[in-house]
Amino acid sequence: MNFLFTVLRQLGRNLRQTWGVQIMTLLTVTLSLLIFSFFYLVYTNVVNLGDRLSEDIRLIAYLDEEPNLELRKQLERKIIQFDDVEEINFITREQAYDRFKAQLGENATVLDGMPKNFLSPSVEVVPVKTLGHLNRLKDFSSYLSKINGIQKVQSGQEWVEKFNATSQLITIVVIASGALLILTTIFMVAFTIRLTILGRHDELELLKLVGATNSYIRTPFMLEGILHGLLGSSIGLGALYVLFLWIKTHFTTPGFMTMFDFTFLGPWGMAMIILSSIFLCTLGSWATMQRFVKG
Amino acid sequence: MKKRVQRKVEPMIEVIKVTKTYPHDITALHEISLTVNKGEMCFLIGRSGAGKTTLLKLLCNMEQATRGLIEVAGQEMNLLRGRKLSQLRQQMGVAYQDFKLLPERTAAENIAISMEVSYKKPQVIRDRVCSLLDQLGLADKYDTLTGELSHGEQQRVTLARAIANSPSIILGDEPTGNLDAASTERVMRLLSNCNKAGATILIATHDETIFREGSHRVLEIADGRLEGIAAFPTTL
Repeated sequence: MNFLFTVLRQLGRNLRQTWGVQIMTLLTVTLSLLIFSFFYLVYTNVVNLGDRLSEDIRLIAYLDEEPNLELRKQLERKIIQFDDVEEINFITREQAYDRFKAQLGENATVLDGMPKNFLSPSVEVVPVKTLGHLNRLKDFSSYLSKINGIQKVQSGQEWVEKFNATSQLITIVVIASGALLILTTIFMVAFTIRLTILGRHDELELLKLVGATNSYIRTPFMLEGILHGLLGSSIGLGALYVLFLWIKTHFTTPGFMTMFDFTFLGPWGMAMIILSSIFLCTLGSWATMQRFVKG
Repeated sequence: MKKRVQRKVEPMIEVIKVTKTYPHDITALHEISLTVNKGEMCFLIGRSGAGKTTLLKLLCNMEQATRGLIEVAGQEMNLLRGRKLSQLRQQMGVAYQDFKLLPERTAAENIAISMEVSYKKPQVIRDRVCSLLDQLGLADKYDTLTGELSHGEQQRVTLARAIANSPSIILGDEPTGNLDAASTERVMRLLSNCNKAGATILIATHDETIFREGSHRVLEIADGRLEGIAAFPTTL
């Protein structure tokens, strides 16, 4: 009788004898995983939304008058002096008018009779999309507003700051729920294994006396941990997917969807959650068994 | 002139000046020394509380000696840990006085445990279990939970588990204590066969009938001391 066959038989016996406790543990692992992965899903979607919004961030500096070539070069030099940027675009009055008209769409007729030069010329500054550069956006804005010839500077800075504060809060929730998940999983699995050991103390002692090796005694319990981790995380992710579909069906309208693309976790994210869950549950089993086999 | 010492017999169990003291200064064994040779069968006798069970517990490493040296199959018991201890225990069959059976398992499952830990094939285990139950008059108890067996039957199952893995050392603590004459005879025949097959056997007993007829060595313990080594005991 080989090792694998024997430990699988032992595992089957363990599961049969303590199925009530096993189901409770599985439910706990599943719920912990569901809570954590829900926050993680929200977090990844918020991060994605943040990335999309960051792509649209730009500073618009309205100018007193149409800049000539010399003034354009001066302004470019001043801007680059402050920070690296991705793009600098000068918008003439006519271009501003055309854009505005395009934005109005069907309502563009309201512009009939208006002169084409009633809008201010502007310079659009697209910042480099890194956290460091984006964090300096406010300073950049006040720097530009101090340059002669610039009337006003407009940026989505305040909105971006509020958004960043929200995403930071979500990050904290994800980290906290992750930490709670780790503690809950290790505690619950260790507790279940300890209950099983207490319930089967005589048998395990006898196994030692008849010459069972530590790995013979320990491996079925380790496999239990792996099973809890694998099944708990799979069921948890399955439940999350059902929840995700429900939210997508009931709480998102087509208009909303174009702005906020609510997506499920990627394969790597799911694989990481399953592997982490397996690792944590196995660690819980190992820690408890270690105490027993050494005792 | 050089004196040539030739070793004719190899000791399987060596106990040298072993003392076992329990908490509150209760001395169970006091400087016991004895040797059981490979392939030998001998009996350990003495009144209740004399120290027989304690000595067997030390021999199978259930407890540690307070002082002294115990060697089993050439290995110092106090130093054995982990895999080496497991390997030695697989070579050693012990019939415990308190049986140590799992009441919610069948007689066959209880016996099989000692073979499963050394990864014997299921068919080999089944055949061996059937054969042992048959030899011990328990053929019809294969699927009976040990919790439902009588004391005498449980005792025989315990012995069957001890010898199932064909160990090279068998320790029996009162293996016939609850048995009638016919069952005692079956048990002793089985142990005798194991001994003939090469097993070293040490039996702690009160039962005079199992050693009086034979020529095996009888060791007597009284108040934790080894009183005498003789073919027959002086008193019981």
